[in-house]
Amino acid sequence: MSNNKSKESAFTNNPIVRAIGTQKIVVIIVLLVLFGFFCIMSPAFRNYSTILSIFDYSYYITFMAIGVTFALITGGVDLSIGTGMICYGLIGGYLITQKGMPVVVGIIVTILVAMLIGTLNGVLVAILNLPPFIATLGTMMLVRGLGSIITGGISITWPPAGSEQGWFRSIFKISIGEGKFPIGFIWVILIVVIMSLILNKSKIGRYIIAIGSNKEATRLSGVNVIKYHMIAYIISGFFTGLAAVAYAATFQAVAPGTGAGLELDAIGGAIIGGTSMTGGSGSIVGTLLGVFIMSMLKTGLPFIGLQANWQQIITGLILIGAVFMDVMKKKKKA
Amino acid sequence: MRKKLVSTLLSVTLVAAMLVGCGSKAETTAETAAPATETAEAADTTEAAAETETAAPAATGDMKFEIVSKGFQHQYWQAVLKGAQNKADELGVTINFVGPNSESDIADQVQMLNNAINAKPAAIGLAALDTSACLDAIQTAKDSSIPIIGFDSGVPDAPEGAVLANCATDNYAAGELAAENTYAAIKDTIAKASAPVRIGVLGQDATAESIINRGLGFIDKMGELIKADGKTVTVEGNDKYVNDSKCEKTSGADVVIEVLVPAQVTSELSSIDCQTLLNKADTIAVYGSNQHSGEAMVTANENLNKFGTGEGKVVGVAFDSGAVIKAAVKDGTFLGAITQAPVAMGEALVQSLYDAASGNSVADVDTGCQWYTADTMDSEEIAQNLYD
Repeated sequence: MSNNKSKESAFTNNPIVRAIGTQKIVVIIVLLVLFGFFCIMSPAFRNYSTILSIFDYSYYITFMAIGVTFALITGGVDLSIGTGMICYGLIGGYLITQKGMPVVVGIIVTILVAMLIGTLNGVLVAILNLPPFIATLGTMMLVRGLGSIITGGISITWPPAGSEQGWFRSIFKISIGEGKFPIGFIWVILIVVIMSLILNKSKIGRYIIAIGSNKEATRLSGVNVIKYHMIAYIISGFFTGLAAVAYAATFQAVAPGTGAGLELDAIGGAIIGGTSMTGGSGSIVGTLLGVFIMSMLKTGLPFIGLQANWQQIITGLILIGAVFMDVMKKKKKA
Repeated sequence: MRKKLVSTLLSVTLVAAMLVGCGSKAETTAETAAPATETAEAADTTEAAAETETAAPAATGDMKFEIVSKGFQHQYWQAVLKGAQNKADELGVTINFVGPNSESDIADQVQMLNNAINAKPAAIGLAALDTSACLDAIQTAKDSSIPIIGFDSGVPDAPEGAVLANCATDNYAAGELAAENTYAAIKDTIAKASAPVRIGVLGQDATAESIINRGLGFIDKMGELIKADGKTVTVEGNDKYVNDSKCEKTSGADVVIEVLVPAQVTSELSSIDCQTLLNKADTIAVYGSNQHSGEAMVTANENLNKFGTGEGKVVGVAFDSGAVIKAAVKDGTFLGAITQAPVAMGEALVQSLYDAASGNSVADVDTGCQWYTADTMDSEEIAQNLYD
């Protein structure tokens, strides 16, 4: 045991490594290696437009992943985010395009409905004590049907870029002269900073982490666990609402019935970033990095001529590797 | 005890959620969620009386048809529904128009088809998502003497006499029409090219008959036209398309036709496919064979800005319409697109169902397709088939 410790100490005792966290360092290295690899292998990858695309396709998953990180930290999960995102995008888009409401109203309703479903998840898990996997599996199906019913089953096209109501699309990408700038990334960084502070420095975050570590002990120490457990799911819902807006801004057309499976991209990103499946630990920066690994793979692999099926295999392997690291870390601590 | 109550409640909620989630319905009728275990025989005995009535219907108003579509993800299906409903009202019959939540839900659609058969309608309309997945159910329908009329997509391997006729766009011919118009725009580029050039084909899947034929019609016609002008051509990419196309597979050809199909039908994966094509310096044209692929082309082009006409631009050709594709054709991003006649298809379908159920002979109906560009899309003849 002591042997083992001295072997690791040189790396893990380094103050910088300690401050950032071993897993995050590894994830950053993997991210850089992947980026370098794609740049070397494909001249077309070395284009500014590729970077733009990686950002475009990462926003909605990033938002979902930040939200679901809170649910994961409580030791739960939120499976309703994938189909939920599509459902909320359909409802908001429906109000804008079919009912003639201003875009801003559509966006607000999108986020409110998302928070409502988040609250429902919170009630099921925190108050009724249902297993989070089952409870959110139920709401996942529920929102999948709900979106189709409200819009009459048709797909919704949010207002196009050039139109009067298309301004929301420049929340994430603005045109400067001929070029385009992925301004959404600035918002993402800002949100990551805010949510990191909330998770690590605020009462809400500390109690959510405590619930994931040991719910009973947290309750016995006088914390209103039901309230904070619910807040975790409401945060997950809120970010799914933001994801819906980002999705509409990127893809414009939202088709009912889709979205199943996207929640796993987000959960996978959070896990790769070091959030523990068993709860009690996790970080927002890690989640962001994890999502970027997924987006980098999705965008990069086709450039080197690999068909989409391979991308899923490779993402799967990386996910297994990340969980393995988590398990090893726990073993070492024990 | 309390635990038991909660778990019972949970199961009920789950089942309810599943029912809600299991497909969108346009026409509200008392469709029963028939359990999967219910066999056609069981239904036979319980509804024997009902069957004798529906098997030989007089020209009455209580004729009922089940129509299993591919879902309502694309507005195209709303237009088909509109045509079907118009005709049903005219003939005084009832239709129940259903479809799965998404066009990836092949298993859900098979279940819907089974439910439709169990409902003992006078006839069934079917737009199969997968040409082979529905075969068992089609055999069951045949055994129960329920005539099936295919629409949108045919079922080529169906048992003899089960699918009486198809009301569909001749998708292969539609693909050929797209190839002819695309070729007219890239003919000179190909003739002048000193190095090999690439034509991209984006297919949503390699399972639906309509999508496959639109791809193959395009590939085969394109190959024919290129060869007629003295150049060589080859096909690469998705195995299904490569193997089924008539083009020879050679290396070092003057023109490469590359077919990309995503692992899963998501907007993201399809637009990444399109970006991959647009990022290749030798790509001169991209054809997307349905609304989903056409919309993915628009998303992909937002950062790359490659589609258009003129020097260094890539010719974009799409299929069907919808607000996004219409806007892209209108502003010249796309050279043009092919539109089908969905309203006419819905009408022809219900007419054929009616004829088949009344014991009259039915034949295949080609509901037609048109090529439209920014100049022609406002003409009355075309505009009636375009939808938002």
